[in-house]
Amino acid sequence: MNRLISILYWVSLGAVLSFITLPLIVVVAASLSPTSAVTLQPWEWTGRWYADLWSSRWLDPFLASFRIATVVAAISGVLGLFAAYAVVYERIPGSDGLMSYLLSPLSVPQIVKGVAIVLFLSMIGLQGFLGTPALIAAHVVLALPFVTRMVATSLANFDANLDRAAQILGANKLQRIRLVVLPMIKPGVLSGVTFAFIISFNNIPLSVFLVRPGDSTLPITVINYLEYSLDPVLAAVNVASMAFILTVIFLFEKIGGFSAQLHGGSK
Amino acid sequence: MNALDIELVSVSKSYASMAVVRDIDLAIPQGEFVSILGPSGCGKTTTLNMIAGFTAPSRGDIRIKGRSQVRVPPERRNIGLVFQNYALFPHMTVTENVAFGLKMKGVRREEAAATVKSALRSVHLEGMGERYPRELSGGQQQRVALARAIAPRPSVLLLDEPLSNLDLKLREAMRIELKEIQQQLGMTFVYVTHDQEEAMAMSDRVVVMWQGAIAQQGQPADLYREPNSRFVADFIGKSNILAVQTTATGQAHLELRVGEGVILKARNTEPSAEVRYCSIRPESIAVLPPGAGGDEFANRLDGTVRRVVNLGAAFEIDADLGSDVHLHVLLRATRASVPPKLGDSIRLGIDDADIQALSA
Repeated sequence: MNRLISILYWVSLGAVLSFITLPLIVVVAASLSPTSAVTLQPWEWTGRWYADLWSSRWLDPFLASFRIATVVAAISGVLGLFAAYAVVYERIPGSDGLMSYLLSPLSVPQIVKGVAIVLFLSMIGLQGFLGTPALIAAHVVLALPFVTRMVATSLANFDANLDRAAQILGANKLQRIRLVVLPMIKPGVLSGVTFAFIISFNNIPLSVFLVRPGDSTLPITVINYLEYSLDPVLAAVNVASMAFILTVIFLFEKIGGFSAQLHGGSK
Repeated sequence: MNALDIELVSVSKSYASMAVVRDIDLAIPQGEFVSILGPSGCGKTTTLNMIAGFTAPSRGDIRIKGRSQVRVPPERRNIGLVFQNYALFPHMTVTENVAFGLKMKGVRREEAAATVKSALRSVHLEGMGERYPRELSGGQQQRVALARAIAPRPSVLLLDEPLSNLDLKLREAMRIELKEIQQQLGMTFVYVTHDQEEAMAMSDRVVVMWQGAIAQQGQPADLYREPNSRFVADFIGKSNILAVQTTATGQAHLELRVGEGVILKARNTEPSAEVRYCSIRPESIAVLPPGAGGDEFANRLDGTVRRVVNLGAAFEIDADLGSDVHLHVLLRATRASVPPKLGDSIRLGIDDADIQALSA
């Protein structure tokens, strides 16, 4: 019986993992394909599509996405921190309602949000904001619920006695926030910021309404390119941006020292 | 008389219409070890939080060294506090934890380092400074919490059930150590606990709280010998508490009737109040040898042994005196003694001074 359960466990685990990874493997294989058709012949693989990436056609959108995602991560990190602080830590009046409001963007489909933002901007005569400023604003709206939620969770898990201990030892409010609260919730803030960065960097449904021709983000450039041609350079773009995102996650983990914070072992 | 360190003047605290602390008056002299003792929900933790400043009293005044503290926030009260769950900063080393209060006070770095060292020495944690709290055992964390609280030299140290998360052996060792540290520092300790043994073992004075008010306060021995209510008699140590009726009142003595026919002679300690109960400590009851008179005892009672429990150092005997009156007797085990057996007849002797008459 136990044996059967164990076999079922490994089989289902394998199925789930391959379900997740197989598409990625296909993309990686496609990016190495020797012809413009996607083939699976490992002995003829080539890296020449990756060389094509080093051109302004792909580099410019990448840098645009990177810039936007960085600003979005910073802004939504700060705003989310403030919001969660007010709602969870200070328990300002109407906290529960405020939290629901802060999370409400999650319930609106991104396409609807995109259309709404375009209509709103043209209604108040700010079409000039389309492009980078509008993208940043829209992505912040999109990312803020995630950041707020993550910071709120780590604040809720914060032991209020630590705050009291610091207070009775003579720390005023600012000192307590700086020396005790912030270090304790740092992992939550950093994962929120990482999320915001990835949400912004990968976004299509919102961005598609807000980019300006010639000033496009990476995912939108990929979509546009796809409309006219399907060749392995797209696969190469995707593999490269995937590697980039993984690097970002890895770096934030390092800075956050998540494992050192949460589990045993010294820094 | 020493200067008063802490004064509570008719302090009350209510939440909505619930009175949690009712009209507490308490004066704690400099250098005293005071325990606030009571069952959970008696208001002792609320009282502690009001002294620390985390909770504002609804009425009354709290003074530290003569100055009213009601409008002073906790960070400016110069009080130390040891938490039940220690509340060590997990992202700081032991040294950083202990130095925190000194840093907040703006103590110079070299001076702070020396103070941290001596604080760690006084709790026997030399050489542990570079570790993180999670790398320490519960007892060691407890010591760090203590060192952190005493390092800035507060005028008063509050301790909120600091030993309750430790195992029994360690708890007993820490009792002695805490008392020693307190005496070395000459610091006023206010120790909140629900464990009467702990309170008795360490305190100069015990304040028993019940239902938000002070039931009784005094030196541990006095509380034990002369409880003023059933609650205190029962909460501190073990006691036989009997409902009684006064059958005769003399200047110095009372005659109390228990149940149908058992008559006890007691000293009249509360001449004004109506006596309704009495408390007799099990170890103050003597088991008289069969046949012997026991004339030195004011009370001689005959009964039957209903149960004998061997506690090792003593035997706990349940003696049935008839008409539904039972007494628990603690008989010290000696090499020669033969404990009475179930069903044996037994004669008990109780000194009149050992019967504490109670009005409530």
